[in-house]
Amino acid sequence: MKNIILGLALLTTVLAACNNSSSEKKDNTASDAQSTNTPVDTSAKQVTATTETTATVSIAEILNGYLKMKNAFAKDDSKEAGAASNEMVKSFSSFNKTALTTEQAKIYNDIEDDAREHAEHIGSNAGNIKHQREHFDMLSKDIYQLVKTFGGGQKLYYDHCPMYNDGKGANWLSETKDIANPYLGKSMPTCGTVKEELK
Amino acid sequence: MTVIKKIGLGLFIGFVAIQFIQPTRNKSNTILPMDIEKIVAEPANVSTILKTSCYDCHSNNTLYPWYSFIQPGGWLMASHIKNGKAMLNFSQFGELSERKQQNKLQGIINQVKDGEMPISSYRLIHPNAVLTPAQKTILINWAASVKDSLSSNN
Repeated sequence: MKNIILGLALLTTVLAACNNSSSEKKDNTASDAQSTNTPVDTSAKQVTATTETTATVSIAEILNGYLKMKNAFAKDDSKEAGAASNEMVKSFSSFNKTALTTEQAKIYNDIEDDAREHAEHIGSNAGNIKHQREHFDMLSKDIYQLVKTFGGGQKLYYDHCPMYNDGKGANWLSETKDIANPYLGKSMPTCGTVKEELK
Repeated sequence: MTVIKKIGLGLFIGFVAIQFIQPTRNKSNTILPMDIEKIVAEPANVSTILKTSCYDCHSNNTLYPWYSFIQPGGWLMASHIKNGKAMLNFSQFGELSERKQQNKLQGIINQVKDGEMPISSYRLIHPNAVLTPAQKTILINWAASVKDSLSSNN
């Protein structure tokens, strides 16, 4: 009898212990939440305020988070990349959508819905840099389109690494002309070429 | 009664008590129009792999083993299913934006290639869900071709 009770007790403990392992954080709020936060307007250095519509829209904060993340990956720093991506998630929430036209909002929401998920993943996978980089690859495409649509407000370079992804290649955005590869990090820091210059 | 016996009895009572709290089952017999099998071609061998190795956590229809009725095992399973479906749900794949569909398919390729999916705890209790190298290739090639076919850049 005693053994049975002990056995059951043990089983319960073991099963309960399994529970806190792979509970990946999931908060898929695709943000239809109307953000009431006042956005920090860092568009002062926006030199390309060409049209009325883009003048008031600034993705600077989102971009900052991205560039921080990119620099962390170039240093193989998984933790810092995670921290930067958490900042990025916040900047999505505080992004002021009111200045967007209907058409722009459609594009923005489509990109944000996806990019936010990648950022959340990178944030919750600190320590697993390989997986983080897979999401960074997809995130980079989103951010590139965001910059193409709304303007980055600063000079940017769209870089290409031919080796990542088993030779399929991957791209990233950088604020410097010098290559610092975020996919291969310190093992191949200067691998890559500038594909496009974005003003 | 010794202390150990008392603790044991307490745990046993607790164990019996939690059996009454059964999580909602992830079961559906309807195939929605947005199900991936309605949108893209799914060869029989791919379909079998998906159903055996993926659908328990990534669809609206889980094949529950007998021990799923025993708590806290069932709760653990329910939380896995909830997380799995939030990441990717083949039963509702069609409602994702094209951008997300592309990335989910890329995610499938990455995760299968890296051996991250199915997750190790699932593989442990479902040995038949373990993907052989041949199955991995089938799945990866399928995901890649679906990715191309669903891309508007094509």
